Amino acid sequence: MHCMLTESRNESLTRSARLCLVTMLLMMAMAVTAGEVKRSVNEENGLQGWHFSDSDIEIELIQRLPDQTRALLMNHNFSREVIEQMALSCMFQTIIRNTGKSAANRVVSIDLTEWRMLHDGKIRKPLMKEPLLDSWTDADADPAAKLVVRWGMFPTQQEYLPGDYNWGLTAYGIPPGATFDLDVAWREGGALRRGEIKGVVCAPDVDTLK
Amino acid sequence: MRALNTVRHLFVLLVLLSALPGAAQAEQTLTAIPGRVMAPDFSLPDTSGTMHKLSDYRGQVVIINFWTTWCPPCREELPSMNRAWHTIEEEGIAMLAINMGEDEDTIFIFSADYPTDFPVLMDQSGEVIGQWPVKGLPTTYVIAPDGRIAYRAIGSREWDDAGLLDKVRALQQ
Repeated sequence: MHCMLTESRNESLTRSARLCLVTMLLMMAMAVTAGEVKRSVNEENGLQGWHFSDSDIEIELIQRLPDQTRALLMNHNFSREVIEQMALSCMFQTIIRNTGKSAANRVVSIDLTEWRMLHDGKIRKPLMKEPLLDSWTDADADPAAKLVVRWGMFPTQQEYLPGDYNWGLTAYGIPPGATFDLDVAWREGGALRRGEIKGVVCAPDVDTLK
Repeated sequence: MRALNTVRHLFVLLVLLSALPGAAQAEQTLTAIPGRVMAPDFSLPDTSGTMHKLSDYRGQVVIINFWTTWCPPCREELPSMNRAWHTIEEEGIAMLAINMGEDEDTIFIFSADYPTDFPVLMDQSGEVIGQWPVKGLPTTYVIAPDGRIAYRAIGSREWDDAGLLDKVRALQQ
């Protein structure tokens, strides 16, 4: 859209300027309410990121290499099997923020069990930390090691007031390099809202690049 | 002509309004906790072995930060916490950083890159953090002199922000 705000005594041009203003207002309103996704690539390490924003919420997913997860878990008492299970579970560093952009002072709440993903023609849910932790014996992970997963993975449910944000790992349980569409859900002032991040790609495993 | 000027002014106003969300993001917010939620007491050692009991700080405002070395936003806010500490220490405001699940050696090595002059306590078993309403790291609470939780911040903040510290100081009155 190109608005000509040139000086003129022509009444019809003034009307068109008004029309232009109204159109701009409508476009701005649409930009605030329609979810927007931006993909980025970190030039230093090549990792891809997806940034979703809509109304008061921002969700950011940044690829996490399997080796990054291996490095974190190998410093704690996890079994080799659990380390590989977690490393190959398509993890993303995830940041969720209540921006408070609407100035309505609304609470944003997240329940990851309401998120869905479409991969290979099937709809499934992301992995939650609670069933993972419950499935591990002390031989799989000692209590101190479990703390790393309990506090390192994203909280399954959480409320954010304006200005609050959290960081954590989300996992999707599909192979390195796989692609999926992510349907994100959140509640804003109690109302359920959804958005879609298409074409999210799990980080490749170093071994697959050899 | 007048109508066109009005349109121009509105256009400028729109441009200014469109910049507002960015300005709002920079605000260092603290969420007020309604009612009278008392801070759970704890007794934890700091990295030099000295025990700290929260109830011993009654009568003071206390900032309590839950963190780990492997949490990026925790690392991000530590320098501003240290700067804030040098401002508020002489005002009688206490600051305690509770590390979750790590040992002295890990924290010691980490402190070479992120020095802190306020006490860093160790909750190695995660027992204390489990008693607090923490969902993610970092989470910080500001405790009023009467022991109630006055404010909460989820995620990192610039703790030496003047507006943020004024809110903390106001609890002393």
